[in-house]
Amino acid sequence: MAYVLIAVISVLLVALVAWPLLTRQQDPLPAYQEDDRRAVEEELQRSLDAIREIDMDHRAGNLSDEDFEALDRDERARAVELMRRRDTLAGSEEP
Amino acid sequence: MTLVGRAALLLAFAAAIYAVVAALWSRRTGRREFLASAERGVWAVFITTTTSVFIMWGLLLGNRFDVADVAGYSNLTLGWRYKITALWGSQAGSLLLWMWLLSIAAVLVVVTNRRRNRDLMPVVVAVLMGVAAFFTSVLSFITSPFATVSPVPADGRGLNPLLQNAYMESHPPMLYIGYVGLSVPFAFAIAALVTRRLDSTWITSVRRWTILSWIFLTIGIVLGSRWAYEELGWGGYWAWDPVENAALMPWLVATAFLHSVMVQERRGMLRIWNMVLVILTFTLALFGTFLTRSGILSSVHAFGESTLGPYFLGLIIVILVGSFALLFTRLPALRSQNSLESYISREAIFLYNNLLLVGLAFAVFWGTMFPVLSEAVQGEKITVGQGFFNQVTAPIGLALLFFTGVGPLISWRKASARELRRRFAAPLVVAVIAIIPAVYLAQDGAHWWAAAAIVLGAFTVTCIVGEYWRGMKVRHQLGGVSWPGAFGQLFVRNRRRFGGYVVHLGVVSIIVAIACQGAFSSQGDLALRTGQTGEVAGYQFTNDGGTRSKDDHKMSVGVKLGVSEGGNRFATLEPGVDVFLAQQQRSSEVAVDSSPFRDVYVVLVGLTPDGLARISVFVNPMMMWIWIGGVIMVVGSLIAVWPSRRPRGAAAPSVVGADDRVPE
Repeated sequence: MAYVLIAVISVLLVALVAWPLLTRQQDPLPAYQEDDRRAVEEELQRSLDAIREIDMDHRAGNLSDEDFEALDRDERARAVELMRRRDTLAGSEEP
Repeated sequence: MTLVGRAALLLAFAAAIYAVVAALWSRRTGRREFLASAERGVWAVFITTTTSVFIMWGLLLGNRFDVADVAGYSNLTLGWRYKITALWGSQAGSLLLWMWLLSIAAVLVVVTNRRRNRDLMPVVVAVLMGVAAFFTSVLSFITSPFATVSPVPADGRGLNPLLQNAYMESHPPMLYIGYVGLSVPFAFAIAALVTRRLDSTWITSVRRWTILSWIFLTIGIVLGSRWAYEELGWGGYWAWDPVENAALMPWLVATAFLHSVMVQERRGMLRIWNMVLVILTFTLALFGTFLTRSGILSSVHAFGESTLGPYFLGLIIVILVGSFALLFTRLPALRSQNSLESYISREAIFLYNNLLLVGLAFAVFWGTMFPVLSEAVQGEKITVGQGFFNQVTAPIGLALLFFTGVGPLISWRKASARELRRRFAAPLVVAVIAIIPAVYLAQDGAHWWAAAAIVLGAFTVTCIVGEYWRGMKVRHQLGGVSWPGAFGQLFVRNRRRFGGYVVHLGVVSIIVAIACQGAFSSQGDLALRTGQTGEVAGYQFTNDGGTRSKDDHKMSVGVKLGVSEGGNRFATLEPGVDVFLAQQQRSSEVAVDSSPFRDVYVVLVGLTPDGLARISVFVNPMMMWIWIGGVIMVVGSLIAVWPSRRPRGAAAPSVVGADDRVPE
């Protein structure tokens, strides 16, 4: 009985792992470019969060006007650059 | 069923090897059907390992004493809950649990990355399944949980009485989830190095895994301390035991990583350092497993002598050498995008905090391994006592407490002197006020570090409360929301930052409580006949009589003690001793009266037939705040890791001009 059970489990497992090879099942995503787009999108989100945080720190009195201007300017420039990269990637994906 | 259990583990081993080969073949050839097949291999490992675990539980619940681990760690009178936990009472069973949790983690990685990180996934699968192949090979060929014994005993030896405790039911799985979870960041780090995708993508993918693993490690460490406090009956909770240290080291390095990763995300710095931390964290998690199983160091928690040590040591060496060699080849691509502009900036504080945490981990490693190193060099095993650890950890812990307060108040890139004066005025005033009671408590400098912990604790709490207050003020003024609403919005808008501050409050609670307990606890022994009263540390204890009971499982003796202070009786404690019949082993059942200011902790040392009770009394100040601090840390980290949903109507800030700033 135990041997039959082991044989059945083994066959089912082989079928499970071999199925994509037998059916030539492809990766669900058509292109790895999706990862690049997502990476830029996530970095942009972090940059926008940073802009909000800098603004809030300034309003809360944690940052002097001078420091705020410098930090805010640089972070906004970074966000703009990331938006450009995102648009470029989106453009290259269009047919 | 033992045959099926063994076969399932062999199939898991075969599936893990196949998944490694198929995943790497997919990466080499670009044939994505092989990656899909490798990912199904991960499922196969999960299915077969799960089968083994459930078969083992079936054998334990069915009292199958023909299986060595069942005969060695269970018996007829053991309750069903402890039969379930007996799985990780044995060496092989605990490795099976490790492997099962790893297979669950690997399946979660596959499921959550079906549509992302596709170029990283072949290497991620190969690394995770490589580790799985190691564990399944150990379980299949070296120490099998399904090994049988002959002749079959009529009853088992039972579970170690020390492990028959509610905290021990959950402490090992929590630690193991933490250890296993750390393999995922490691796998992504290696994948990023191999594929040269060294941007922040891998960091984003692993940050949540690292925090969750850290949460489980925290819970595991706190539960283990609580178990030691309640079960070992020596009045303490942490003895710098090698196995305790083994859990602390990866926790410290993971804590360093969780801070330095913010510097990489925000400033593009510390990229090499973060890789090093991820590699070290996972290696230290494996090192903990090695320490527990190699028998090189004696510990109350270890599994004793075994032949597994060289295998684990081999794995650790392969991982360390392989990972650092790979890292070395990628150094040019990992250069920082920015440099440190000032030594007084948020990123600099994170760096100091990292150096302290890693330094502390190294000190703990050195103290833990010193007996082995001294034996290798001098031929004599010299054990490092608690004094070494306390001397090293006290100043580092205080410095960490200081930076916990300072860090969030200092801005990124640089901080001006004017800004610093304004930000630190209130915390410094509070710290100065706290010096007065602290100096009084320090007793002529004998407990200077406890006094310093109180002062720095007051300073840090004021810093954190100030952050909440300023944030609430902004929210209140901007949004026209109520003060409680403004407080809640802080967590909705920036969970990571304000959840992190909650964790810091927990850290303050724990460090101050540890310092106070270490400095101001008192202990005394009493021998009381029925009706007699004795005094320890201002508390009076009256022997109200002994109790004795016996069942199939154990024999218990106890004593009822009335506890009074200034003539006011406020508690009746019943410390006892259980003698477990199967093992003929005794276990103290301590009795504790807890309050926010102190624990009165009583151990029954002996009870003679004529009613003479010998007891040890410990009065431990602030103990409750260690456990409360642990809960606060876990709650805070759950807030920080909880997925954030953009509030309805929240707009992204305009990035075009500086005049139209909209905070949300």
